[in-house]
Amino acid sequence: MKLPGRESSEKIREHLLKLVRRSEAVTALIISREGVCVSKAGNVESLNSTALAALVAGMFAATREVANIVGEEQFSILLQQGEKRHIHISLLGQRFMMVIVFEDYRRIGRVRHEARTAGSEIAALLEGRREQEEKESKDISMPEFREYALNLIDRIFVVGEEEDAASGPD
Amino acid sequence: MPHLDPTERQVVFKIVYFGPGMSGKTTNLLFVHRTLMDKYRGEMLVLDTEKERTLFFDFFPVSLGKVQGYSLKFHLYTIPGQIYYEASRKIILKGADGVVFVADSRLNKLKDNIRMFRLMTENLLEHGVDPDSFPMVLQYNKRDCPPVIRTGVLERELGLNGIPVTESVATTGRGVMRTLQLISKEIIRKFKIG
Repeated sequence: MKLPGRESSEKIREHLLKLVRRSEAVTALIISREGVCVSKAGNVESLNSTALAALVAGMFAATREVANIVGEEQFSILLQQGEKRHIHISLLGQRFMMVIVFEDYRRIGRVRHEARTAGSEIAALLEGRREQEEKESKDISMPEFREYALNLIDRIFVVGEEEDAASGPD
Repeated sequence: MPHLDPTERQVVFKIVYFGPGMSGKTTNLLFVHRTLMDKYRGEMLVLDTEKERTLFFDFFPVSLGKVQGYSLKFHLYTIPGQIYYEASRKIILKGADGVVFVADSRLNKLKDNIRMFRLMTENLLEHGVDPDSFPMVLQYNKRDCPPVIRTGVLERELGLNGIPVTESVATTGRGVMRTLQLISKEIIRKFKIG
């Protein structure tokens, strides 16, 4: 499915919202394999989604290595069961993962079902917008981007005078 | 390649602090986290063992602001330095846009530094990255622990030409922000699209 970036983004969020509602999950997130959260729905305020994304990506990569050791290419689903909350993680294509946090473990069947249904729709949307994103990213003017970015770095990663003198010239 | 997302209007670069065990990678991150203003930094994760050694990784995100409508972010990671955590190191290094090699300056750690740098180079090659053109900064940390390795020794031993080098004492913060500044600039200068 090919939709302009913004529109596909809204569609993805709609799918996530529907999934959260139907499975009575706490929250659902889409994260990239690099550990960056790209979409979320549900009770997102109570969780540090940036840290969660980095950890889940690391965990999934580690699990892939475990899979290789036991002769599998990868495990497509990870389930973490806790006392009060549980996490269901599934792969969406090669570049993304869906994370669902839920509380009632008796609803695991429903969570799995909704994850499968929404997962295939979202995977198609993410794949569809890839081409569009590649085109859009080429609109960035690199000389300007570099200049502004370097300026921000100078301004925010401030080197103290004492430190500067001790470390030598640039 | 960074995470470049035109839909969400964000570009995220991954910086990994690599180096032998106890060379000060986590201390670097802790200092950066303490130093940055709240509006630029996210929460810091420290995954350590009972002996305060990094088990999987340390992490925190930095948001610098908007550039051409994109949120510019750096995600900072450390690796576990102990030799037996090779599998974890490979995972964390994957997708890195730049590396700070935190060397332990103490003279008796020369071999550990060399061994760990070579392991890092092997890991990068396995991920299809050419270490010679990859953004990298060599930080000689623990300059306050004599006798120290003279600057230039590691570059010579490892055949590194033109790599940016800093000297630091991460426990006091000396050289830490300068190192971060240098690696971020290296990454931005070498950043290309497509």
